[in-house]
Amino acid sequence: MRLAYWMYEGTAHHGVGRVMNSMRNTHAVFHAPQGDGYVNTIFTMLERTPGFPAMTTSVVSGTDLARGTLRLPETLRQVEATRHPDLIVVVASCSTILLQENLEIAAHQSGLACEVMVYDANPYRMQETAAAEGLFTALVKKYATPQPLTSLPSVNILGPSSLGFHARHDLISLRRILKTLGVAVNVVAPWGASVDDLRRLPAAWLTIAPYRELGRLAAEHLEAQFGTAALYDAPIGVQPTLRWLDALLETLNTVGSRLAVPPSPLKLPPLTEFSLDGMSAPSNVPWFARTADMESFTGKKAFVFGDATHTVGVTKFLADELGMPIAGAGTYLVKEADWVRSQLQGYVSDADFLATDEFQQVADRIGQLRPELVCGTQMERHTGRRYDLNVMVISSPTHIENHLLAYRPFLGFDGADVIADEVSTTCTLGMEKHLIDMFGDAGLELVEPAAAESAEPVLASNGNAAVAPVAVVAELVKPTNGHAPEEQSSNGNGSALPTGAAPSGQTAAVPAVNPVWTADGEAMLKKIPFFVRGRARGNIEKYAREHGIATITAEVLLAAKEHLGA
Amino acid sequence: MPPKAQFTREDGIYHSFCGLVSVGWLYQKIKDSFFLILGTHTCAHLLQNTMGVMIFARPRFAISLLEEADLSSAQPAIADQIAEITREHHPSVIFLLSSCTPEVMKVEFEGLAQSVSTPEVPVLFVPASGLDFTFSQSEDSVLQALIPFCPQAPPDDKRVVFLGSVNDAIADDFLFEASRLGIPVAGFLPANHFHELPPIGPGTIIAPLQPFLAKVANQLTNDRGATVMSSLFPFGPDGCRAFWEDLAAHFDLKVDLSEREAASWARIKEHTDLLKGKKVFLSADTLLELPLARFIRAAGAEVLECSTPYINRRFHARELALLDGVRLVEQANFERQLRSIAEEQPDLVISNIITANPLIGHGVVAKWGTEFIFSPIHGWAGVNTLVGLFTRALRRHARLDPLGSDPVWMAGVMPGAPEIIPLTRG
Ligand code: SF4
Repeated sequence: MRLAYWMYEGTAHHGVGRVMNSMRNTHAVFHAPQGDGYVNTIFTMLERTPGFPAMTTSVVSGTDLARGTLRLPETLRQVEATRHPDLIVVVASCSTILLQENLEIAAHQSGLACEVMVYDANPYRMQETAAAEGLFTALVKKYATPQPLTSLPSVNILGPSSLGFHARHDLISLRRILKTLGVAVNVVAPWGASVDDLRRLPAAWLTIAPYRELGRLAAEHLEAQFGTAALYDAPIGVQPTLRWLDALLETLNTVGSRLAVPPSPLKLPPLTEFSLDGMSAPSNVPWFARTADMESFTGKKAFVFGDATHTVGVTKFLADELGMPIAGAGTYLVKEADWVRSQLQGYVSDADFLATDEFQQVADRIGQLRPELVCGTQMERHTGRRYDLNVMVISSPTHIENHLLAYRPFLGFDGADVIADEVSTTCTLGMEKHLIDMFGDAGLELVEPAAAESAEPVLASNGNAAVAPVAVVAELVKPTNGHAPEEQSSNGNGSALPTGAAPSGQTAAVPAVNPVWTADGEAMLKKIPFFVRGRARGNIEKYAREHGIATITAEVLLAAKEHLGA
Repeated sequence: MPPKAQFTREDGIYHSFCGLVSVGWLYQKIKDSFFLILGTHTCAHLLQNTMGVMIFARPRFAISLLEEADLSSAQPAIADQIAEITREHHPSVIFLLSSCTPEVMKVEFEGLAQSVSTPEVPVLFVPASGLDFTFSQSEDSVLQALIPFCPQAPPDDKRVVFLGSVNDAIADDFLFEASRLGIPVAGFLPANHFHELPPIGPGTIIAPLQPFLAKVANQLTNDRGATVMSSLFPFGPDGCRAFWEDLAAHFDLKVDLSEREAASWARIKEHTDLLKGKKVFLSADTLLELPLARFIRAAGAEVLECSTPYINRRFHARELALLDGVRLVEQANFERQLRSIAEEQPDLVISNIITANPLIGHGVVAKWGTEFIFSPIHGWAGVNTLVGLFTRALRRHARLDPLGSDPVWMAGVMPGAPEIIPLTRG
């Protein structure tokens, strides 16, 4: 047993939920206590899903256990009646798996018309990534059916998924590239795929499986079972994208040449055709890397930590395309550590490589290295800020801040520009800040780093408990001009105020003297979080002046609060 | 006998958090405490996702992580962890929370807590597992664990103890209000520090500030002979007036707060004008739903349904009496609620955080109910915040361009749900 404060990976049932929520007409049912339904929140708040996530908790309560009630069959019936899925995947939770119930029998008893699969994901042996990959592979094995290849070149894209890191944007980037090449997309999965789409997978000439975490094993299965060629590289950066394009075209042309009626071979079009307007450089990174801007990056070291795919891709990108020295790299996917290490041969020495799922170890390493740039997950973002380092997020798990609206892929030419922009803005702003530190604030309103950190829980992944400190002070810090109408009517409310505000009887023309604070008034003001205290103080003093109150006691503060709140 | 309120209990699909979520505010409230959860990866993932990431410094809560090898041992060994926590955090008290897996394993928690408890740093068992406890409910368990540490008050000590964790600003507000009315105050349960717990005895009047504390209230009567005030909870002008008038009456003070109530309503008229006649549907899991429904009804809205995880006939008696005629549901079946929403077309749904965005996606004006738990809505000073939480969503949606509800603007957001059929008409 160990003390744990925070986890990089989610649980097995979260992995199952991610696959089911990616697909069409499929549904996950968690045989679990009520709290385990929390995973829904991650979808509805981070991905802002306009529909109900495709997962339902079949609640197990203490009373049920005592009475031997099993709600699963009834839940399955309700899910089928309301959602009409083609497939329901049932999974036990960390607690219910210990009960050793036979869920197969329970599922069977429900007498559903749709398919029900009990997925054996032992939460003590499997976490989010392994469970998602395991389920998706099992589904592809179950449904993929032998069939002739499409007559024209086509590919599958396996791996994009709900809550995958910038998955939707990566998919757009890949689709843009394929469109430019004139290659059709046969099936994308699990993102947006139905069970029928999985059946059609073997019709493609090739499978693109850019993520080490999800889709790779399914692609391997299609390769072994149906001879579907596969491309496993992640096109992160300009050079890898060019190499990836070559490999893609070469493989497709080989497949095509074997057909009875071979279509004319695909050729790489002029690179400008990959740009958004079809007439510019497909990426601005090669030129940017040579500009005077980047001069200031010389010798700036980076530390990279994340899942397998992004750690490898981003480390190489920083080293090869921006020329940054790598101070260290690592992954929290301990099972993928060997692969990551071998991929990073020549970039990161074994001593500088870190494989751990304990964030404190990563934080310690960052603390020792103090690199100029930290690329990591939302956790490294926190760690980096604690040490006042420049941080960018390059991998799940993410934070609401990483779920932006604009097109921000990591893959392809478009992705190279996005990553390079992120690096340069992260580091440049950091440099400006150091200048300020050195030369004073030059009259700028400098946000205290500590303030930024305290304010941070507000942005927490779903804003839940983190809302508290801000809501508490909300009414005190509202800009007072927003209260003009209420203030006019405040005379009539005098009686509703606590006695301390009695002098408020005479409001109108009082000379603007600055009120003084009593000790208890100050003490109460201190209870307001410091990062908004200044504004609260201003508003309370304004209130006091307007009401002719010369001394601000705790009681006046409360009266002001009640008044300003109205 | 408490009045026979009408409510139904539906056994079906519902959305709620478990009791561990209370840690989010309790560890902040009791400033010298530490919360240790004997749990699994699931519990850790729940906490970090519902509370946001609070790992900047060293959080005063942690999971003692049960891994596969630990499942076979009869009694988990937590002594080293308690030592580590004591060494690094110097808490005055450690709460040991249960979770589902050790409950299923039949870990004997009382004994486990006792075995690591010392007079200097007591370790108190708090039942909180999702098998039995929902969301805010485990605050009830924490407060029960604290009772033995409240000094015994002599019988002639007739003062009030406010029950329920509120922030300092609200606490100050209640202190001032009590002193204004001449009501003597013994303190708050919980207090900000473990050693500041209020004395409680047969003369004590317990004034519940939160509607999810039925068991601790009951136990204070049983263990200490304290009197639990039965009134409305202090939310909204109507609730505050009843609360303070009833409390004053316990001290033989005749107080008429009708004018104050009227002034309070007058101050939020801009909001109540907007709420008048609006159809409101409450489907949340905070356990604040009953008083919220009572307030919004008094503010002029029509409450179509109020569902909440648990209703306690006695503890909620006064609230229930004022909700006569409203459809009240315990552990509502969410799928049935969706059908009711489609049928009854509410103007506003107070929902669970889990369902808020999807409801909005279905064309419903939804307000995330969890926000009520984390906002200062108690007392006279909280009236404006309270009513504002109800009207904010209505106002915002009214200001937005109606084009926004065309499904084209959600296309591609959710891979598995390409088309969403609105629940609302027009
Ligand atoms: S419901 Fe049980 S297992 Fe799930 S997070 Fe809550 S206590 Fe842990």
